[in-house]
Amino acid sequence: MSEMMIKSSGTLVINGKNVRGVLECAASNARFITKKGETAFEFEFAHIRALKNVRNGGMSSTITMKMADEKEYVLMLNAGVKIFNHMYAAWPGKPTQKSRADELHRLAELRGEKIEKPKKHKIHRRHPNRSIGGDIMIYIMLALVACLMAFPLVFAVSSALKPLDELFRFPPTIFPQHPTLDNFADLFVTMGQSWVPFSRYLTNTVLITFLGTLGHLIIASMAAFVLAKYDFPGGRFFFGVVTTCLMFSGYVTGIPNYVIMSKLGMIDTYWALLLPAFAAPIGLFMMKQFMEGLPTALIEAAHIDGANEFRIFWSIVMPNVKPAWLTVIIFSVQSLWNTSAATVIYSEAKKTLVYALQQIQAGGIARTGQAAAVTVVVMAVPIVIFIISQSKILETMASSGIKD
Amino acid sequence: MSNTQLSFTRRYLNMKADKLHYGLAKAKRMKVCYLFLAPYAILFLTFFILPICTSIFYGFTYYNILEKPRFIGMQNYINLILQDEVFLTSVKNTFVIAVITGPVGYILSFMFAWFINELPKWLRAIAVVVFYAPSISGNAYSIFSIIFRGDAYGYLNSILLNLGFIDAPVLWLTNPDYIMPVLIFVILWMSMGTGFLSFVAGFQGIDKSMYEAGYVDGVRNRWQELYFITLPSMKPMLLFGAVMSITSAFNVCDVPRALAGYPSTDYAARTVVTHLFDYGFSRFEMGYASAIATLLFLVMILCKKFISSALEKVGT
Repeated sequence: MSEMMIKSSGTLVINGKNVRGVLECAASNARFITKKGETAFEFEFAHIRALKNVRNGGMSSTITMKMADEKEYVLMLNAGVKIFNHMYAAWPGKPTQKSRADELHRLAELRGEKIEKPKKHKIHRRHPNRSIGGDIMIYIMLALVACLMAFPLVFAVSSALKPLDELFRFPPTIFPQHPTLDNFADLFVTMGQSWVPFSRYLTNTVLITFLGTLGHLIIASMAAFVLAKYDFPGGRFFFGVVTTCLMFSGYVTGIPNYVIMSKLGMIDTYWALLLPAFAAPIGLFMMKQFMEGLPTALIEAAHIDGANEFRIFWSIVMPNVKPAWLTVIIFSVQSLWNTSAATVIYSEAKKTLVYALQQIQAGGIARTGQAAAVTVVVMAVPIVIFIISQSKILETMASSGIKD
Repeated sequence: MSNTQLSFTRRYLNMKADKLHYGLAKAKRMKVCYLFLAPYAILFLTFFILPICTSIFYGFTYYNILEKPRFIGMQNYINLILQDEVFLTSVKNTFVIAVITGPVGYILSFMFAWFINELPKWLRAIAVVVFYAPSISGNAYSIFSIIFRGDAYGYLNSILLNLGFIDAPVLWLTNPDYIMPVLIFVILWMSMGTGFLSFVAGFQGIDKSMYEAGYVDGVRNRWQELYFITLPSMKPMLLFGAVMSITSAFNVCDVPRALAGYPSTDYAARTVVTHLFDYGFSRFEMGYASAIATLLFLVMILCKKFISSALEKVGT
């Protein structure tokens, strides 16, 4: 029974008053508990007369219920989509969809007429404006291009698994006949012999990636919150500048950045990597665009309850933009994980994993197998993160457009 | 006459002063907003805006980090355009890469996002990963140095040798005639990036009832549907995708350095950014490198302006 319970925090409008609290849904009934722990409203799903929801963006939505006693209740919930789906599924009195055709059939049957059922098409068309030939063409083309896109990556993995004699076989094979993990083992041996142990490079990169991403997430979200939800002088201008700066890569600003960092004494410290990563424009951009979709009512209700901006940001806005977190995290991890930092970090003990791996790749023909193993190690992390969080990332990207 | 004009000017000034006053009052009332913005704004100004401004300034100086910058006027720009032949090669290369990979990558991203959108949901998820993976796979492009290796063990060479198209291995990455096509191929392979993801999400966000309405109104095939319904509702994503492809098209640097070597044969793979990198981080001629960066900023901003005005006209 307890696992059936779904909870979501939000606001209930009851008798024209806003009450904040938590809605707990069980299998056949739900109750709204206020922040003080009192039950403000309890209802059976069987008593619902009408149920409507409006999605506010993200996972939050506004649910309007009409009960059997003709009273209306409005719920604004953080996990509203989930709650609505649950309530709708458990709602016994939900309207069945009847079309005009069904009604005509029923009448015809009453009159005792026989109805010919239409023939079913062999191929069902999902969409009115699609030709089957075109669909097939698209499938074939997508399959071909997908092979082309995946080939180098598959090839990198298979090369990493090939023993030395197969790497230089003529003609070269695509898949290894005797797959082995020797290349990865060799990689650790080579790295073990180097002056700085391999684990050091790995720790450095993990540390930089973790700290940089965390700081970026917090700082960019704070800025995105006020840019998205408050209209203050200079805000729009600032965001316009950020949007333009999306275009300038680290290389182009690299030269003056180097000068500035050396003036600030940050060369050869991790600050030179972390501080610019904190201010990456893409994270702020994504976050702000996603936060625009949050209902302003949610923030206003919290204001009325006496919460200050920091409370609102931390306990209302941040939990609601989790999909955007993942997007910001993947962009940040991807750039920090791949950073070689060769221009700002000079001490060997502070170098990153990618830098060390590039040195191995530069080892030439003799290290071909190890170089492939390196490539696999470096590419695996961002791709795995993307696979895990794909649906959330796409949810965020839906609000990524630039409105001029 | 002058009296009314004066009063007009005065009224205008009064209005401006009122506006400023109102703005300041508002700013004071909303000071907590600035508090939230401050950490990001400070870092952003220091590491993004300040570098752009200083790079414009250093562009007019001779600066090698050790000595103080010395003002030399337009000399850097004159040298760039009139004397530096390698720069002109790099501009030509960047231009070729940008003109081909920018629009083609953009259109391909859009096309494939559109096609992928027609797939059933589970297949769509796989397809998105397959298409997006190359752009986030770090330096996986270095695997192309094995595929395009110049000896007979290289993949392409061995296939072509076996099929009998060539009788001696081709030096794909060292022969200036072949470097550019290979680079363009690799860059296109990586071009399904953030913009592509934005398109995929944009397609999913379009209201399905618009298509039904369009069908009733006489839209008859997928191309009409694309032009009259899909493109207009995706304008914001299109602009975002354009910004992203301008970025990647003009900032090509890692791929040529990893594949064609640095410096490459006859500077055949030299791009503006590698040229900038060379002067900035190898020769420490910061003034000269900054002049290159300034030119690049200008070109990119102009490109964005051009594209956003072109997108205004789509679907009308």
